Amino acid sequence: MTVGSRMRQIGWAVVLSICLAGFVVLTFRVNAVKSEVRLAERQIIALERENLLLETEFETRANQQQLANWNRVEFGYQAPRADQFLDNERELAALGLPRAIGGPEPIRVARAPTAEPASFPQMVSPVTGQPAGADDDRPEGEAVASTRSLADRLSGRVAFETAFAEFSE
Amino acid sequence: MNALTVSTAISVGRVHLITNRQRSLTVARWRALWLALLFVAISVVALVRIAFLGVSDRATTVASLEEALLPPRGEITDRNGVPLARAFPAYALWYNPDALGEDGEPLVKDPKQVAAELTAIFPDLDADDVAEQLASGKPGYIRRRVLPEDANRVQAIGELALEMPQETDRYYPQGHMAAHVLGYVDAMGNGQVGMEQVLDKRLTDPARRGEPAALSIDVRVQGALEDELRRGMLAVNALGAAGIVLDVDTGEVLALASLPEFNPNKIDVEGESYMFNRVTNQVYELGSTFKPLTVAAAIDAGVVRDFGYHYDAGPVPIAGYTIRDSHPLGATLNVPEALIHSSNTVTARIADELGAERLRQTMIDLGMNERPYIELPARGMPIWPDGEWSRIRTMTVGFGHGIAVTPLHLASAYAAMVNGGIWRPATMHKLAPSEAPRGRRVFKASTSARMRQLLRMIAAYGTGRNANAAGYRVGGKTGSAEKPGAGGYQRSALISTFAAAFPMDRPRYVVVAMLDEPKGTTASSFQRTAAWNAAPIVGNLIPRIGPLLGVRPDDARDVDISDLRPLIGGVDK
Repeated sequence: MTVGSRMRQIGWAVVLSICLAGFVVLTFRVNAVKSEVRLAERQIIALERENLLLETEFETRANQQQLANWNRVEFGYQAPRADQFLDNERELAALGLPRAIGGPEPIRVARAPTAEPASFPQMVSPVTGQPAGADDDRPEGEAVASTRSLADRLSGRVAFETAFAEFSE
Repeated sequence: MNALTVSTAISVGRVHLITNRQRSLTVARWRALWLALLFVAISVVALVRIAFLGVSDRATTVASLEEALLPPRGEITDRNGVPLARAFPAYALWYNPDALGEDGEPLVKDPKQVAAELTAIFPDLDADDVAEQLASGKPGYIRRRVLPEDANRVQAIGELALEMPQETDRYYPQGHMAAHVLGYVDAMGNGQVGMEQVLDKRLTDPARRGEPAALSIDVRVQGALEDELRRGMLAVNALGAAGIVLDVDTGEVLALASLPEFNPNKIDVEGESYMFNRVTNQVYELGSTFKPLTVAAAIDAGVVRDFGYHYDAGPVPIAGYTIRDSHPLGATLNVPEALIHSSNTVTARIADELGAERLRQTMIDLGMNERPYIELPARGMPIWPDGEWSRIRTMTVGFGHGIAVTPLHLASAYAAMVNGGIWRPATMHKLAPSEAPRGRRVFKASTSARMRQLLRMIAAYGTGRNANAAGYRVGGKTGSAEKPGAGGYQRSALISTFAAAFPMDRPRYVVVAMLDEPKGTTASSFQRTAAWNAAPIVGNLIPRIGPLLGVRPDDARDVDISDLRPLIGGVDK
C-alpha cells in the first residue's frame, strides 16, 4: 500500500513535471516561432520598402520627358507608318511571292572565303564579368548565322528568308 | 511477562497504527486536494495563456504588417496602373543642437569638418552655409530628402546632433508631367490644386488608401502631348500652351496639359505662378473653332440643307460694325468652302439665318453656359452673353467671338459633334465599360455624320492640312482669335487653337491644342495663325498616340466624302 502510494506519488510528480516541462517547452517554441514570424514580417516590410524605392527610382529615371529627350538625341524612333502594318494573311503572303516569270535575277555578290574579322572586342556580361555567350546554350545554327560574313548574307537567300520570318512573327 | 509485554506492545502498536493511518489519510487527502488545486491552477493558467495567445497575438502582429505596408496616403496611378503619385518613406536631415545635452558643444567635431563630410555625401550642399548653420546652434533642416544609403553615410559621421527623422513624403516620379492634373500635397498634408485635392478624403481613408486610385490619364499619351506642346510652344515663342485628349465615347480625359507647368516635387514661387490651369480654368474666345458647331446646329435645325448653295461672302454690315473675312475668298461660298477657308461672313450669315434662340439653345446643350464638367477644382466660368442675344451677338458667337469658354468646353463639344451627337461630361476617373455616362443628345446622328465629312475635308484640303497625319483620317478646325485687350481686340496677340478628332471614319478621340500669343518665327513660316503653329502640333501628336490608343494608321480607309468633294472644285490637291 505504502509502496504503491509512494509509486503513485512519484508517478504523479513525474507526469506533472513532464506536463509542466512540455508546457514550458511548447510556450518557448511558440514564442520562438512568433519572433521568427515577426522577423520575417520585418524583412518583408524592409524588402517592400526597398522595392518601392527601386521602383520609384526606375520610374523617375525613365520618366516620359527623359525618354522623349533620349529618343530625340540618341535613338530617333518614329511612330509607325500605315505601310508598316499588315491587314491579313494575304498581304503577308504577298511579301514572300516567288520571282515572277521573266523577273530579274536576284543580285549575287562575288565573295572569297576570308578569315573571320576579329575587329570587335568580346562583349562582357555586366553581371557575371564573364564573356557574353560563355554560358549560352543557344543552338549552333544561330551562332553560325550571326557570324556569317556580309558578302555571304548579301549573296544568299538567307537574308530575305530571315526578314520574312521576322515579319511573320 | 513476555506475553504481557508483547500484548501491550501489540495494543500500543495497534493504536499507533490507527492514528498513523488516520494521519496519513488526512495528509493524503490534503495532498490530493493541493494537487487538484494545483492542476486547476495550472489549467486556469494554461487556459488564460491560450486565451492570451489566441487573442493578443492576432491583434498585434498581423495588423502591424498590414499597417506597415499601408501607405500613409494612397497612390494615384494612370489608367494602366503606372504610379503618378506615391507616398515615399523618406528621411530628412535635421540638426538638433540639444542632442548631447543642454549645455556644452552641440557637435563632437569641428563644425567645418562636419560640414565638409556632409558636402562629401551631398555635393549640392554649400559647405560654408552648412558650417555656419552648425556653428549657430539653431535647430533646423539641413536637407528635406535623404536617400536611405545616404542616411547610412550620415550616421557614419558619428554626430548625434545630426538626426534622421523618417518623414513620409509625396513623390511624383514623372516630375512636372501632368502637374495640373495631379496637384501637390502641402506641408500640412492636404492635397492642393488637382486630383490630390479632389481625392483627399479617399487617399487618406485607412479603409481605402491601400488601393491605388486610377485616373483616366494615360502616361504615354500625356507625355507625348506635353512633349509636342512644349516643342510647338517654344518654336513660336508662345506665352503658354494647353492641350487635351478626350475619349469621345466616354468623356474620359486621356491627357490634359497646361504649359508652362510647375514641379509638384518642389513647389516654389515661380511654380505657384504657373498653377492656374489653362485647359479648365482659363476662358478664351476660341474663334473659328466654333464655326463647325454653328454649321452643325444649322444642319440639325434644317437651315443648311443644300451644301452646294452659294452664300454671299461679302462683308456683313450690322449694327454699325462690318464683319469681314481675314482675306477675300470670292463673291460666294458654299458651306464646305466656307469651312475650308474659314469664312467669317458666311458663318455669320448662317448663324443669322439659324436665329439667336436656336444657336443659344445648342450652346446651352453643349454646356457652354456653365463651368466645365470635370472633377478638377479649378474650373473657369465661361463669359456667356446674358439675356436675349442681339443679331450681331448671334453672328459673332457663330464664329467664336463674344463668348469665352475653356478649351475643355470645346473638346467636349467636338466630342458630341463627332460621336453621333451625344454630349457627355468629361471625367478624370478611369471608367469601366459599363460606367460610361449616358449623356444627352445635342445633334442628330445624321448631322454628326455630315460634320465628320466636313471636318475631314478641312484637314484634307483646308486650313488644317498641317494636321493631316498620314493614315490617321484626321478631321479638325483651326481657330485664330485676337485676344481682347484695353480698347478692343489686339491685332498682334492671338489665341491659336486646333480642335481635331480622329479617325474620322469612326471617331475615337478628340485632340485640342491651343497656343497663347504665338509669334511669327521661322518655324511657323512667319505666320501666327493656327494653321501654322497649332495644327502641326496635332499633326505630330496623333501619329505618336494613335497606335498607343489602338488606332492603326491605314491608307486604305477613310470617311466617305465623295458627295461633298465636287463642291470644292477650286481647291488644289
